[in-house]
Amino acid sequence: MRIELDGKLVAMTGVVTRVTEALGEALSANGATVARDHTELPDILIVALPLIPDGGFDWSELHAQARETGLAMKARGSGRIVFLMSAMAAIPMRRHPDYSVEMAAVLAALRGLAMSLAPEVVVNGIGAGTIGDPACAGDTVMIGHTPIGRAGTIDDICNAALFLCDPLNSYLNGQLLPVDGGWSVGYGRSF
Amino acid sequence: MQIDLEGRVAIVTGAAGAIGRAISRRLADNGARVVIADIDFAGAEAFAATLPRAMACHIDIADEASVASGVAAILDHFGQIDILVNNAGINTHAHRVNIDVFPRAEWDRILRVDLDGTYLMSKAALAPMLARGAGGRIINIASVVGLAAMRLQSPFVAAKAGLIHLTRSMALELAPQGVLVNAIAPGSVLSEGTRALFYSEDGSFAGRTAEFMAQVPMGRPGTPEEIAEPVLFLASPAAAYVNGQTLTVDGGWTAGYPI
Ligand SMILES: NC(=O)c1ccc[n+]([C@@H]2O[C@H](COP(=O)([O-])OP(=O)(O)OC[C@H]3O[C@@H](n4cnc5c(N)ncnc54)[C@H](O)[C@@H]3O)[C@@H](O)[C@H]2O)c1
Repeated sequence: MRIELDGKLVAMTGVVTRVTEALGEALSANGATVARDHTELPDILIVALPLIPDGGFDWSELHAQARETGLAMKARGSGRIVFLMSAMAAIPMRRHPDYSVEMAAVLAALRGLAMSLAPEVVVNGIGAGTIGDPACAGDTVMIGHTPIGRAGTIDDICNAALFLCDPLNSYLNGQLLPVDGGWSVGYGRSF
Repeated sequence: MQIDLEGRVAIVTGAAGAIGRAISRRLADNGARVVIADIDFAGAEAFAATLPRAMACHIDIADEASVASGVAAILDHFGQIDILVNNAGINTHAHRVNIDVFPRAEWDRILRVDLDGTYLMSKAALAPMLARGAGGRIINIASVVGLAAMRLQSPFVAAKAGLIHLTRSMALELAPQGVLVNAIAPGSVLSEGTRALFYSEDGSFAGRTAEFMAQVPMGRPGTPEEIAEPVLFLASPAAAYVNGQTLTVDGGWTAGYPI
């Protein structure tokens, strides 16, 4: 998959993981300049939340930062924000209550930003299921309830994130795209 | 986005219409052999002639015999089916009325195409897809009205909601056999139909269009190309772990309450 990001500046904030490193490489391979500590206003902001449910986390600072960058993008007249988050944002897991709450908050924040920053800025997110072996997103117990029956790959997440950065994908706004093999879809067992 | 669909055969139903044409063109541009399937055969033929490696096919998705002979003709011509885009759909224009007076015949007409048609097409395309064992993709074109209800079009609202949930059950059933099923829920999209209804000077709802667009954060309707791009993604190997999802492509319209 190839998207056209020539000359685009991408800033990555939040956690640094195997997923964000691979995504940084994928974005560069598609022509973007990727920066972690940026001073210039980026064309695309990637906000990386922790993808492993390990207690809760403080999302409010990342939200504030995304809003500040988003408002500057809106004033400029263009921009994109992509959240890397968990599929648990839409469906809380019994064993990860705190993490589920924080993710749900991020999803509400994402939707609010999408509505308030449009039409100049587009805001979407990836909802990761269980990714990688060893897992770098989700929880391996999800796999038993995933119709595809296996963990996803880091490439799967990177491709979905590239799709959200694709300049031709310009009417998708305020959405969480779960990349979870169908985990969040329903009850995958015959009992 | 650019992806490699070389060697894949894709059926797009309702492909003589605005969104179907855009989807077919994106798939063909990326190497797929595309079947332009429509009840309007003249329209399908005219459009297929503008694409490389495309085939026009007459199919009435609401008619099981027509679906069977159409799919047989496709297999004759291309030998396989890898991607099915269930895009054909109709809504009521003449009967914008409440459920208590909604005409039975119009209810049946819409459900038969929008919901039964997707079932019939999926069933017919799945037989050769599963027999071949090379996996596949089904993409259902639903609508935001299947997620957020709207007045005066109850069979369309019910059919599109049905389509979204059908997408989920199909995804659960078919993933073990390598067929992934997802949906797109478009918001308001510019087509000949919506142009006449909403966006032309003399459209029935022309006076209210500005008011309507003020509810859409992006402040404009989408283009058929903006629906085709997410379809291309879902049809591509890049979406190998996306399953059972409904991507809402509506400019943020239903992301929350836009007031
Ligand atoms: N345009 C919008 O604003 C919008 C919004 C949400 C969802 N949608 C959905 O997108 C899809 C395409 O919409 P469009 O705007 O391109 O519509 P369109 O009317 O331009 O095209 C629909 C096509 O389907 C064909 N068709 C109708 N009945 C058929 C049947 N029984 N068998 C085979 N083909 C049949 C028609 O001949 C036509 O070519 C539909 O499912 C529609 O409900 C459209």
